[in-house]
Amino acid sequence: MRVPYSYLKDQFADSEAILRDIKELLETSAFTLGPAVEEFERGFAKLCASRYAVGVGSGTDALFLALKAIGVGPGDEVITAPNSFIATTGAIVAAGARPVFVDVGEDFAIDPDWIEPAISPRTKALLPVHYSGCPAPMTRILPIAERHHLPIVEDACQAIDAAIDGQVTGSFGIAAGFSLHPLKNLNVWGDGGVIVTSDDDVCERLRLLRNHGLRSRDEVEIFGYNSRLDTLQAIVARHVLREAAGITDARIRNAALLDAGLGGLPGCITLPPRPANVRQVYHNYMVQARDRDRLLAYLLDHGIEAKVHYPIPIHLQKPARRLGYKPGDFPVCERQAAAILTLPVHQHLREDQLLFMIDTVQAFYSR
Amino acid sequence: MDLPRQFESGTVSRKVVEEFERCQFVLGPPVSAFEARFARLCGTQYAIGVNSGTDAMFLSLRALGIGAGDEVITAPNSFVATAGAIVSAGATVVFADVTADYTIDPRQVETAVTSRTRAIVPVHLTGTPAEMEAIGAIAARHGLAVVEDAAQAVGANVLGRPVGSLGATGCFSLFPLKNLGVAGDGGMVTTDAADLDGTIRLLRNHGLRSRDECAVFGYNSRLDTIQAIVGDALLDSIEKVTATRLATAAFYDGALADLAPDVEVPPRRPGIKHVFHTYVVQVARRTDLIAYLSERGIETKVHYPTPIHLQPAAESLGYKRGAFPVAEQQAERIISLPVHEYLSTDDRAYVADTLHEFYRG
Repeated sequence: MRVPYSYLKDQFADSEAILRDIKELLETSAFTLGPAVEEFERGFAKLCASRYAVGVGSGTDALFLALKAIGVGPGDEVITAPNSFIATTGAIVAAGARPVFVDVGEDFAIDPDWIEPAISPRTKALLPVHYSGCPAPMTRILPIAERHHLPIVEDACQAIDAAIDGQVTGSFGIAAGFSLHPLKNLNVWGDGGVIVTSDDDVCERLRLLRNHGLRSRDEVEIFGYNSRLDTLQAIVARHVLREAAGITDARIRNAALLDAGLGGLPGCITLPPRPANVRQVYHNYMVQARDRDRLLAYLLDHGIEAKVHYPIPIHLQKPARRLGYKPGDFPVCERQAAAILTLPVHQHLREDQLLFMIDTVQAFYSR
Repeated sequence: MDLPRQFESGTVSRKVVEEFERCQFVLGPPVSAFEARFARLCGTQYAIGVNSGTDAMFLSLRALGIGAGDEVITAPNSFVATAGAIVSAGATVVFADVTADYTIDPRQVETAVTSRTRAIVPVHLTGTPAEMEAIGAIAARHGLAVVEDAAQAVGANVLGRPVGSLGATGCFSLFPLKNLGVAGDGGMVTTDAADLDGTIRLLRNHGLRSRDECAVFGYNSRLDTIQAIVGDALLDSIEKVTATRLATAAFYDGALADLAPDVEVPPRRPGIKHVFHTYVVQVARRTDLIAYLSERGIETKVHYPTPIHLQPAAESLGYKRGAFPVAEQQAERIISLPVHEYLSTDDRAYVADTLHEFYRG
């Protein structure tokens, strides 16, 4: 029995419809910002209950351009979480700003209690991360942001279709960045990203920034970048968007099954909180495990492709040293980094594979 | 008249479908395979697939440690991305005027060097190599890096040495409609420097030395596996593409010679191989000509009517009209005639005939 982490061959086993559209594209040559991009953007904006969506080159670029669009730059600080994928911090640094980390809670998201102490006169924005597909506690973060007049850019790269009290991620901040990377819930065949916003000015600025600052073919309004969602990838995205609800539901079902099986191992496996009013979408199914490294090896030996996202928090990585952080600065994050484990939970898993994972974990702890 | 048809054959579609056995859509094996072939084409040790020609230049500058406080000299008549990449890197753009063949004037470059200059970005505009020997000498004299903007010049060379191998790095664009264009955004950096190769590979992939270990803060700028497959398939025909464009250019040179001075064909510097990404002539009564040609089904473009230094984006750089007289004069008269590899002999004869009709009645 094998339980693979990647499932793309299964997902795209029958890609005739997509390939037909792509073949058509290859013949019309509308490779850059073609009609499919706009169609996808409209559909995605709707999914995120936002007025606009802007297709860009990657989730990283989505965050970077969103920060640039709201005026973040050298001399500014942006508050974010140290446990995310490195790109969240990379985007802040790319924008010329200084990342300021705050510790996280048991939901792996920024702990709102730590935000205010981290705010300084140089703080320009908050960048909460809806990590692993679990929404950050926006109901507590929003009032803090309002009190200090700080815009929020959501890192929703792992959280398409997630929600709090029915309000979807992407609709809380001034802008939100999403990733369409092949292993995301909504995925394309290469790098891709999308920003959503309901702000007219931000949208206009983003459309300039992603396309060399060109107002028209001959007029350069501002210096910009090249970060566009390929028409080819927009075609893929348009198809997968139709499956979005089904993909989310399948992952939620799979997670519930895993929760049921692993919840009965207190002291061995700690599940994150599952508040009833929050729709988590399980980009990753992450738990905390006692004896994590040995469990990981055991799972891999038994054909289960478990992973750790991520063993070394960002503040303890080499390039973050110059920011002055050291071990002990974020005790919750650091404790979690030693204990977190990701199990496959994707929509192509069969029930027997899910049960096998539960059995194997149980077997490990009853040795 | 200029609709690219390189994907009609179906070969590319087939190879893309084959990738679905693996589904390694990000930095899969076809990327390194294409990089290796591209490096061979350019006569360099290394090639790194990135998201765009723009990013190729940006990452080159970052890898060279060029940024805030530094000046980088380039040409004002290029596509805006050349200047945009320099600005993105945090450096100051300094322009130098161009020569009659639209490439940067080495004498003007020399004049523009200051104590803050760190690099020269010569642009092989239209597919014409810049005067690399002279530029190289200036760079050596002042300890400057040379980053080639070869976005429009894949296949070109100077005295037999391919563009892309003539500086610290070469930056290529795989944007559709380039001589080698893929089915979306793509770019390539070429270099012989192992350290630059290593650094750019880190920078394009979040600075990750391994899955768990970050060496530097980086970016996301990777050539998609699918685009690498497309590019690799098209590499097979790049020589034919270049030869066809050269033949069309030679035809135009001959057929339009008698229209001087209303039509000035592109100058031909000896010792270089052009690749005619665009065939740019300078013309009288350009606006009327464009309309006349368009009405008769001939699509032309102007690359570009407003030089970068006169764009709203460049206001803060402080250049005024008159700063670069050659580029400014050219900008009023240049027009690109169709020169792509699918032009038939009838098509190009039709273009030449229609130009004669316009100017000679």
